[in-house]
Amino acid sequence: MSAVRTVMLIAGREVRQRLRSKLFIWTTVLISVLMVGASLIPTIVSVFSIDDEVVDREPLTVAVVGDLDDARTDALEAQLGPVDFDPVADTQAASELLTDPDSSVFLAIIDGREVLVVEETGPFVGPNRGRALSIAEALAVVDLLETAGASEIVEQVLTVEPLPVQVVGADDPEEEFAGILVANIGVVFIFGLLMFYASMIVNGIIEEKGSRVVELLVEAVPVKQLMSGKVLGMGLIAIGQATVMFVPAATVLVVVNRDLIPAGVGRLAVMTVVWFLLGYAFYSLLCAGLGSLVSRPEEAQAVLTPATMLALAGYFIGFASIQAPDATWSVVAGWLPPTAPFVMLVRQAVGDPSLFEVLGSMVLLLLAIVGAALAAARIYEGGILRVGARVKMREAWKSRAL
Amino acid sequence: MLEFRDLYRSFGDVIALDGLSFTVAPGELCGFLGPNGAGKTTAMRCAVGVIQPDGGSITWQDGPIDLRVRRRTGYMPEERGLYPKMRVHEQLVYLGRLHEMATADAAASASHWIDRLGLGDRSDSPVEELSLGNQQRVQLAASLVHDPELLVLDEPFSGLDPIATDVMSDVLLERARAGVAVMFSSHQLDLVEDLCETVAVISKGRLVLGGNVAELKASRGRRLRIEVDGGTAWSQRIGVDAEVVSVDEVGATVLLPPGADAAPVLDIAQQQGRLLDVHLEQPRLSELFRNAVGTTEDTLGDEFQRRSEVR
Ligand SMILES: Nc1ncnc2c1ncn2[C@@H]1O[C@H](COP(=O)(O)OP(=O)(O)OP(=O)(O)O)[C@@H](O)[C@H]1O
Ligand SMILES: [Mg+2]
Repeated sequence: MSAVRTVMLIAGREVRQRLRSKLFIWTTVLISVLMVGASLIPTIVSVFSIDDEVVDREPLTVAVVGDLDDARTDALEAQLGPVDFDPVADTQAASELLTDPDSSVFLAIIDGREVLVVEETGPFVGPNRGRALSIAEALAVVDLLETAGASEIVEQVLTVEPLPVQVVGADDPEEEFAGILVANIGVVFIFGLLMFYASMIVNGIIEEKGSRVVELLVEAVPVKQLMSGKVLGMGLIAIGQATVMFVPAATVLVVVNRDLIPAGVGRLAVMTVVWFLLGYAFYSLLCAGLGSLVSRPEEAQAVLTPATMLALAGYFIGFASIQAPDATWSVVAGWLPPTAPFVMLVRQAVGDPSLFEVLGSMVLLLLAIVGAALAAARIYEGGILRVGARVKMREAWKSRAL
Repeated sequence: MLEFRDLYRSFGDVIALDGLSFTVAPGELCGFLGPNGAGKTTAMRCAVGVIQPDGGSITWQDGPIDLRVRRRTGYMPEERGLYPKMRVHEQLVYLGRLHEMATADAAASASHWIDRLGLGDRSDSPVEELSLGNQQRVQLAASLVHDPELLVLDEPFSGLDPIATDVMSDVLLERARAGVAVMFSSHQLDLVEDLCETVAVISKGRLVLGGNVAELKASRGRRLRIEVDGGTAWSQRIGVDAEVVSVDEVGATVLLPPGADAAPVLDIAQQQGRLLDVHLEQPRLSELFRNAVGTTEDTLGDEFQRRSEVR
């Protein structure tokens, strides 16, 4: 039987046992549903905000003193949509109407040449002042055109399509926003899932060790294959679970809310997955090696401390480098394998690493993964059969099979 | 043939195996005996590759015990171990497949052993829900499911009720008759005496007695118990070719060397008075064992100390 078949067999058991857990299935499905729900929120919100606009479009009431000719009425409607006019006697009456809290009138036009608007309180300039300004501007344009004898193009001028606007320069605000978004979510995502699945692996190892079934296994399976099978199996579970949790929501976003996805998110999402997988390989191997040193779940936390500290360092440096993605320390942390999955993702999202840096850091991490696999296998060989008290790392390293 | 040749293994200062040598042939059912701490478990773990010896070799059919051989070996560890949450049948199939079986064969074999060992109704129960004795049956099934040609069982009888003991005995005999080399360790000497053709007795990591049980007994000689009217003074008059083992008020027991005739001793006793009772018996295995191992206070104390250090 080939090593590959053995590893697959072990990985397969790992996956099947996990799928048998109702709790696992239901939490996964629940999270998936919640994610889909979350991705629908923008749509739901926009449905309601369309309703808002419909409400807005109910005719506004404008008080008018004196006459308002057709050109000026058009100008007003071009700015406000359909308008109801409320003729009043004079400026005095108009301002009384404006300040009356019970009236819906917010604007008054005096003889087509003066605009009154009610004062709004609060920290921000309210919509009424803005509307008043644009109306004042439109009326001025009408005046100007009439004086210039070009009354026939008043309508065209008022409804003219603006020229296309193009944003130039590296700092496309939309892409920058996408970068910051992915950097923040990605670091949390990678850290959380890494820790979660690594601890699942360790629990599995401790279960085998504690129940002594491992002695039966090592009789038929080389220790390295046993460990690889576990890491691979849990990796498949991680990929499968992440797929179920995130893909439906992502699909909904792409199909329903395409415009809401900032440009550049797709590429960065792929990079998040790539860095997660690399980080998973590195950390799960470390944890598998360390986990083989203990026999009881209570001891797992303590024995994993070195790996947890490294991951935490990656997490915090990753977060910090969102502010300074191209600072020297960020660049260095991007090269170091334990922190690379976090920091390099951030640098790609909000910084400007060269292709050489990205690929180089990946190659370095791959080498570190090979190193972690060899070291973990050696510790695992030394630790896995010693049931009972926690095995010292140095002893496990030296002793190999018992 | 399974051959242990000059095996050494130590744990720190403790020498667990100290030049152990013996063999188990295909079709042989060998009882592996020795006091606590003699090194039985260590030797068996070396045989299945769970630990490595420091020196010496173990071979199967004159070749090293590599992965290929280990997958044709059935092993029952001293510390029983199965996946607690996995179901019985599923678990056996998995272990069978790890030993290179095709899935369908493994499933058929698992069902066969589940029935044979009386676990029919527990086939789909998680192992942790079974009683200890039934878990042990599953453990035996786990060592048999891939139809091994070599069986290495560490104390398979411990914790079994009399019925389960019979089932276990039958299965081991049947496997040996089918040509499997079977070795199992045990502290139940009477059971081993009834069941096994051969034994290997070890003490302090080396073989102290080994071979065919009947021959070993015969080579030790026979015991002659005589009671005559008129006391036991006759026992002081017997010649050098017989040894007095014990004397009480009514009679004496004499050990006859292998092949010796009982008649001269009987003659001497009869000169004392009328014969009341006579029997001639072979030594029990337990006697051979005690004799070979030599239970002095010293070795026991030693072992207690070593054990408590390990715990
Ligand atoms: N993992 C270990 N670490 C340290 N010492 C060990 C270990 N395994 C066995 N020993 C020591 O090696 C010696 C032989 O032990 P072993 O378990 O082989 O004896 P045994 O014949 O199986 O005894 P028992 O009948 O009690 O099962 C003992 O002194 C034991 O303390
Ligand atoms: Mg033992």
